[in-house]
Amino acid sequence: MSGSMSSLNTALTALRFNRIALDVASNNIANVSTEGYTRRRVVGESLGTSSVPALWSRYPGAEGSVGTGVGLRSVDRLNDPFLDARGRREHSAQSYLNVRSVVLQRVEAGIGEPGDTGVAAAINDLRGAWHDLANDPGSDAARGQVIARGLALVDSVRGQATNLQTEMADQRGRLLGTVNEANTVAQELGATNKAVASAALDGVDASGLLDQRDQLALRLAQLVGGTATQRADGGMDVAVGGVALVTGSNVGVLQVAGGVTPTGADDGSPVSFAVSGSAGTTAVPAGLRGELGAITDLLTTTLPAYADGLSAVVATLADEMNAVHAASYDRTGGTGQDFFTYTPGNAAASLQVAVTSRDQVAASGTPGGSLDGSAAAALGATGQAEGAYQRLVAGFGTEVASVRRLASTQQLLTTQVDSAREQLSGVNLDEEMVSMLSAQRSYEAAARVMTVVDSVLDTLINRTGLLR
Amino acid sequence: MSTMRVTQRMMANGSVTQLQAGLSRLAKVQEQLSTGRIVNRPSDAPTEAATAMRLRGAVQEQEQYARNAESGLGWMATVDTALSGMTTSVRRARELALQGANSGSTSPASRQALAAEVDQLRAGLISTANTNYLGRPVFGGVTAGQVAFDSTTGSYVGVPGEVNRTVAQGVTVRVDVSGTDVIGPNGASLFDDLDALSTALVGGDTDAIRTAIDSLQTRLDAIGSAQASAGAAYNRAESAVQRAKDATMSLGESLSQIENTDLPRAMVDLKLQEVAYQAALAATSRVMQPSLLDFMR
Repeated sequence: MSGSMSSLNTALTALRFNRIALDVASNNIANVSTEGYTRRRVVGESLGTSSVPALWSRYPGAEGSVGTGVGLRSVDRLNDPFLDARGRREHSAQSYLNVRSVVLQRVEAGIGEPGDTGVAAAINDLRGAWHDLANDPGSDAARGQVIARGLALVDSVRGQATNLQTEMADQRGRLLGTVNEANTVAQELGATNKAVASAALDGVDASGLLDQRDQLALRLAQLVGGTATQRADGGMDVAVGGVALVTGSNVGVLQVAGGVTPTGADDGSPVSFAVSGSAGTTAVPAGLRGELGAITDLLTTTLPAYADGLSAVVATLADEMNAVHAASYDRTGGTGQDFFTYTPGNAAASLQVAVTSRDQVAASGTPGGSLDGSAAAALGATGQAEGAYQRLVAGFGTEVASVRRLASTQQLLTTQVDSAREQLSGVNLDEEMVSMLSAQRSYEAAARVMTVVDSVLDTLINRTGLLR
Repeated sequence: MSTMRVTQRMMANGSVTQLQAGLSRLAKVQEQLSTGRIVNRPSDAPTEAATAMRLRGAVQEQEQYARNAESGLGWMATVDTALSGMTTSVRRARELALQGANSGSTSPASRQALAAEVDQLRAGLISTANTNYLGRPVFGGVTAGQVAFDSTTGSYVGVPGEVNRTVAQGVTVRVDVSGTDVIGPNGASLFDDLDALSTALVGGDTDAIRTAIDSLQTRLDAIGSAQASAGAAYNRAESAVQRAKDATMSLGESLSQIENTDLPRAMVDLKLQEVAYQAALAATSRVMQPSLLDFMR
């Protein structure tokens, strides 16, 4: 037999529960556009029903047989750890491709082909100058023009080489910055892990901390790739290339092991990383993803490959011209010298015109200072270098186009996964309105129950036994 | 997309993404229109970019060939004029020799006069043989000097060698005429013949005069054939100019087909993208508006 006041108590639990439901709805609404917020849902449970039916199932009026109200079972955080893991993977691939695509497009813009001002045009102009000299071997103007066009070619080749070097220096600086940021994020994640673990022990709601944990893990995935695994205590462990970076509250330090000096200079070796922690320093195997992986690949493979290709083209051109020029005769009748000089292995950045005076330009195929132009005509003919340069540029263009395409395809995938996560975890205002309304109505109804019980009690207490 | 649950942020993000995509398509068309080129960087179309680079090189090369051939034309015109002048002079010298050979009708005094005129012709011919084009004697081969023949002795002082113009890939046209081919080798040259004729006229040596007439005829033939081959070379160079100009035109056309924007199409594209962008904007403004709040009291 339940007490007379029991219904009042039941209504009170409903009032409390609906207050919580309103709180949760209003918190959801407040965070509708908060980055990384996962919506919460109130789960109630009815109180007082027994798990052992036979004991309390007597009717009528048996204690607990109709329940004693509603209680809060939990406030759920609506996320899917597998979807989150997928999101981290896609975001890591996305930032890898984005960084790569942006840098390669910038380098490509610096090449300036096809156009009237690039290296190809400078080579053509130089060929033209040799032809003009062949037409008029005695002319000072034509000789001067050959030297001037040679210098213009040197300028445009060096311009490209300088662009590449600047870009690589920028990327080295960015690499250091990214490593710093990754370490900061890893530290924060370690601290969050600690807080999550103690919140679990204290029995405090850790939803906010979990949101923070997921966001830090996502940012870390964007920066360095790696894999994150959830711990039993609610924290998140992160391993980079198989090497543990964050284990609970224990955080290692990601270091640049080679390739870039602390001041951002090139130390000549390929870029590599290591994680130093309490267990010593462990080298990180190659093949990182995320921004750091993109920068590493650019610095070790892509940009040097183009620079080497350019140097090879320049060396071919210089060798071809030197071979003819040195076998010809200048205006004084002497044997010609090399037209270009360069440092082997780095031809593009070190190219120079060796001929300084007009008399040294060798246009003649016969000795003795005659006005023969056969050597100049041979130098004006198209050689191997033009084709090699076209292949180099087309190859680079193909690479840029392919990275751009990959990045936009990846964007579709990333968007899809993001929207799947948003579909589960995002706040829908209409939905919150509905739960707010229902909480409001439930609250009103519970209050009405109180009024009714109150009036019943009023009847019982104040009216019973009175005779008018 | 089978979405079960749609949130306001999904729609906001989606709208922003779509608007961005629309804007970037618009920017692409705008770039094509404002630069007038569809291949603005190698990655726009790598193969086309390589072809465009090759065509640009080829256009420049053909223009250079045309320039080479045109510069040869001036040289050859000078050669032709000089050879015509020489023919006239040598023919006149031969007439004088024929007059002098007719011993019965010529007095020593008139033979003296004939010899004097032959000497004049010889001096004139030496000067013609030293004709310059842009500071170079056209019959002097590749000499760096100012003359092809010594102005008094008439001996060849040029440097034998060909002056060529490259008029197409691997094709050269010789624009000069070797001085010794026209005038003859030192010791048996036109000037030596004229010297001998003058001496023979003064001395009244009829046999020597006849010998001179024969050798002058040989020279006339040599000059004629040199002029003919120079003319043929002139024609080759002239047609090479035409060919190179034609090639420049057609290569330029190919380049334009690869590289340049098809304006009407780009304009239509621009309009389409503009409409699509406006539609996306309008849809965004409409879609973001309603919520349950609008219908609650």
